[in-house]
Formats: sequence, structure tokens, C-alpha cells
Amino acid sequence: MRFMVIVKASKDSEAGVMPGTELLTAMGKFNEEMVKAGIMQAGEGLHPTAKGARVKYSSSQPAVSRGPFNFNSDLVAGFWLIQTESLDQAIDWMKRAPFGGGAEIEIRQVFSPEDFGEALTPELRERGARLQAEIDKQ
Amino acid sequence: MRFMMLMIPAGYETAAPDALPPVEAISAMMKYNEALKDAGVLITLDGLHPPSSGVRVSFAGGKPVVTDGPFTESKEVIGGYWMIEVNSRDEAIAWAKRCPASNNEVIEIRQVQEMADFPPELQQAAAGFSELQGRPER
Repeated sequence: MRFMVIVKASKDSEAGVMPGTELLTAMGKFNEEMVKAGIMQAGEGLHPTAKGARVKYSSSQPAVSRGPFNFNSDLVAGFWLIQTESLDQAIDWMKRAPFGGGAEIEIRQVFSPEDFGEALTPELRERGARLQAEIDKQ
Repeated sequence: MRFMMLMIPAGYETAAPDALPPVEAISAMMKYNEALKDAGVLITLDGLHPPSSGVRVSFAGGKPVVTDGPFTESKEVIGGYWMIEVNSRDEAIAWAKRCPASNNEVIEIRQVQEMADFPPELQQAAAGFSELQGRPER
């Protein structure tokens, strides 16, 4: 099963405060353990919303606004993509992440074609598989 | 430059754990995903199960605390993402505007941090990480 581990933003991350060397080193070691265990597929940090934008859809032209956006606890600072046998295993791994006080992560299962069952027509299933094959080739 | 396009679907914060997007929406989105791929900008993409089936891990105190979804205080939740490679934030915005999203949905565009974005001392502390992931150092 695949999971996205969403790292919530903090006032520090939004202010562009860089992680200290100690945290970076600890995080590097943690990532290395996950890679070696075959758990980690990806891990990225995102620049603060000041470098971002939002597109909001409506019946007319989509409206564009540029960051920064008002701080709220739903903002994202980074993520991992991990692969484990179960949600419990994903949780067990992520509890070991070397976060300090105040950090929060959210673990969300990633959709796979099987999850859609009958709702996914054979044509859509095939197009999805072809798309995924192209993605995996990169 | 790599960007994440974070899909914030309207009402996903209250979606049931087994909620699935309707087939028509999947079909329209598949066309869009293929357009991203054909243009050579798509790196990867995923859809996420609703927050009601997710968990949060908070590192506030000494021990990590796990909480089950749903998370009633969340107003905006991530339903999926694309990672794209384009030359500028404006280009990412242009692509986001073409997404067949529904009214009141939002895509948040965020620049992915590259190693080269960090000052030399931080690059050192995180050295070798990109290789761990099987990607060339950027």
C-alpha cells in the first residue's frame, strides 16, 4: 500500500527558516533507514507559499492569486511517499521521524486502480496503466 | 523547476472513508493528465483517500501521538497532487488553469526545494540524499 505523509507547515517554515544542521542530519539518517528498508519512494520539501500561487475554479475564468497565503494549520511544508504493508506499519515508521515539538504529519493512503473497482471502465483502467508506465519509465 | 500542484477539492474534508470520484470526473482528469504527459512536463501524480480514513501523528510532547481522521477543524484538505517540471511559476499556473476542476476547487502551486536552493552548509548536511532516492543531484 502506498501512503503520502504530509508534513504540515509551521510559522517557521512559512517564514523560510531553514532547518538546523542537527535536524537535517537526523532527518537524513531517518530517510536513509527508510530507503534501505524499501519503504521510501520520495521525499520533498516545498518552498513557502510566498513562492507559490493558487488557482480557484468557478463558472468563469479561474482566478489566480500569488502567495504568501494566510497561515493556517492545513498548509503543507513537505511530504514523503512511502510503501508499506498497512497503515499501522506506516504509522510505526513515521512515529520514528526525528521531529521536534509542534510538528504534525498526516498520513493518507494513495489511490490505486484496484480501489476503484467497477467504477473504473476498462478503457480508463488501460489509459491509467499506460500513463503510469510512462511515469515509471522516467 | 519542479512544482507541486496540490488539488484541494471542495468538501473533501467531510468525504466518507470509501468515497470515490465520479467516473466522468476521472475521465476528464485522465485527458488532462495525458496532456501533461504529452507536453513532457508531468513527473508524477497521485490521488489520496479522504482524510476520514487517514491519521495524524503529532510530535508536540516527548512521545508521538496518533489521532484518527476525520479532522473536523480542517477547512482545506489535499485530494491529490501532480508534480511537474516547468520553467517558471507562471508556466505552472498556466497548466493549473487548464485543469478540469470543479467550481470552488483550488489548486495550490508550490515550488519544490532543490538541493541547490540551500546554502552550502545545509547542502553538506544533506549530501548524498538525492543519490539515495536514485535521482541525480540537482
